[in-house]
Amino acid sequence: MRDIFFDLSVRSVRLNFLRSLLASIGIVIGVVAISSMGMLGTNMQLLVKDQLTTGINTIAITPDVVRAEPGSPVNSNTGITDIQLRDIRDAAGINEVIPIDRTNTQFSIGDSDGRGSIYGLDPVDIKNIMNVSEGSTLRGESDAIVGATIANRFNLKIGTRIKIGEPNVSVTRPVVRVVGILSSVGLSSSNGINSDNAIIVSDTWYTSEFGGGNMYDQVNINLKDVSTLTEVEDAIDKKVNRNKEVVRISDSSSRITSVSSTLSSLTTFILAIGSISLLVAATSIFNVMMMSVSERVQEIGILLSIGTEKGEIRRMFLYEALILGIIGGVIGGIMSVIIGYSVVSAMIGNTSYFFLPESIIYIPAGMLIGMIVCLISGLYPAWRASNMDPIDALRNE
Amino acid sequence: MNGIPLIRLADVSKVYHLESGDFTALNHISLDINEGEFVALMGPSGSGKSTMMNQLGILDVPTTGEIFIAGKNVAGMTNLERTHMRRDVIGYIFQKFYLIPLLSAYENVEYPLILKYKKRDTTGRASGVLKSVGFDQEMSAHRPNQLSGGQQQRVAIARALVNDPKILLCDEPTGNLDRKTGFQIMDILVNLNKEGKTVILVTHDPKIAEYAQRTIQLEDGKVVAS
Repeated sequence: MRDIFFDLSVRSVRLNFLRSLLASIGIVIGVVAISSMGMLGTNMQLLVKDQLTTGINTIAITPDVVRAEPGSPVNSNTGITDIQLRDIRDAAGINEVIPIDRTNTQFSIGDSDGRGSIYGLDPVDIKNIMNVSEGSTLRGESDAIVGATIANRFNLKIGTRIKIGEPNVSVTRPVVRVVGILSSVGLSSSNGINSDNAIIVSDTWYTSEFGGGNMYDQVNINLKDVSTLTEVEDAIDKKVNRNKEVVRISDSSSRITSVSSTLSSLTTFILAIGSISLLVAATSIFNVMMMSVSERVQEIGILLSIGTEKGEIRRMFLYEALILGIIGGVIGGIMSVIIGYSVVSAMIGNTSYFFLPESIIYIPAGMLIGMIVCLISGLYPAWRASNMDPIDALRNE
Repeated sequence: MNGIPLIRLADVSKVYHLESGDFTALNHISLDINEGEFVALMGPSGSGKSTMMNQLGILDVPTTGEIFIAGKNVAGMTNLERTHMRRDVIGYIFQKFYLIPLLSAYENVEYPLILKYKKRDTTGRASGVLKSVGFDQEMSAHRPNQLSGGQQQRVAIARALVNDPKILLCDEPTGNLDRKTGFQIMDILVNLNKEGKTVILVTHDPKIAEYAQRTIQLEDGKVVAS
């Protein structure tokens, strides 16, 4: 059995079809704005999170902040010692342990000078933590692999020679030959190595030039199983930081949290912008509902005088607002799929997250919000209609 | 008759507070109308007929005095109770018919049943009442604007009757009809009165007033003849 007040509302909407449709377009735009922007933000979050988590299986161990004695040379003993490395290897168990030497220095390619990090790595480990996009990995003693940014800036090719070290007239600087170029890592460099701006050399070459054969600047552990992260970290902490804090153990999970929260605020912000359009839509729904009420004053008078309850009059107008909301919501929902998909594909360039629940949920959510906005816009007109004096309303022509 | 009148006005006054000063539309009126009476309410414009009808129709409450309808004091009722009284005890028939434009003839008659029982009518009562006032069944799906004045007034009478009210309030029911149709409508009202309905009729037309057993004459908010 259909509610007669619902029938009356449907007929009223149908009677003023064009007007109702135009008012609903506001809601359509609002729903599309909210859904598309929400999905845009979420897709961006999902994408960045995925990019960041590619390196989450890495633990980086660095010497703790140096508390130098006054007067003593600062860089004398800052590093992870062979003994500490052995402890780390013990604690890491089956996981791969990669000791890394690093220094910051100047280098020259032809006439141009640059500055960057030099990493010394066991050539065997390179393929485990880096991705060579062009050329090969280290083979000879004075081979080097360069990061994407450096390669790009100095227009490096395979075979280019790089002089390493501060320029000094009296000393001939050592030379390395580029054999490989790394692919760009950008944000996803989460293993403590900013390889985009680095020159990678073999550990033996590194120690022969910079010394520190039994000292390392960083030790990375590549986990076989990400879920053992805290377990391994705890084991290392127990073993190496036995008496006092000598190494700092870090992973990228905290960075992911902070980037995610930044992106989530960004999503909230663009959602807020989207809601402004719903606010405008609410005004147009309110306007149409007020028109509907003022056009039907006499009818309201009839309904009230023959014994219709105020609540029933209210219900009739709220149904009408809801119908406008449903029309706007459904059209808006359909259009959100199309427009949202286009926006995500145009602005992010990756639609593989689009149909995931956390993204697609914005469509029903947007539709629901659109309908609720309509209902709220109808509250005052409905209240006004129900509180009319039947005698005055009947007299209205 | 059990001695208590169906309608009792006890010293009823209605004062409107206008910018130009107070206007007394009803001035200390006391009046009884018994169940089964056919009463014509007459008087010149501004004599208080409409105000009186609004009081009798529980659309308004008096400024002073008391009105009892079917034994209940109207002034003491809540808004919702008055709404239910209008729905259940009184049938309204207006000069301009006042059908609900978005509902069909049948639905207009069914509407008070829905108000009362909160569901669609399945008993066939609405159709039965429409038939009893001589309305053409084939027209029942038509909207009011597709009906003639006489047909509309028949629908309006059916709508007034469908909840079996004790009182029929008719405000110039023939005012928008041609003479012949007007008399047909009056015949229906006379028959309803014979079946036991209390009919109260406002009219300017002495010919129409002749149908009533009793005429109440109003002038300047006072009853001058009853």
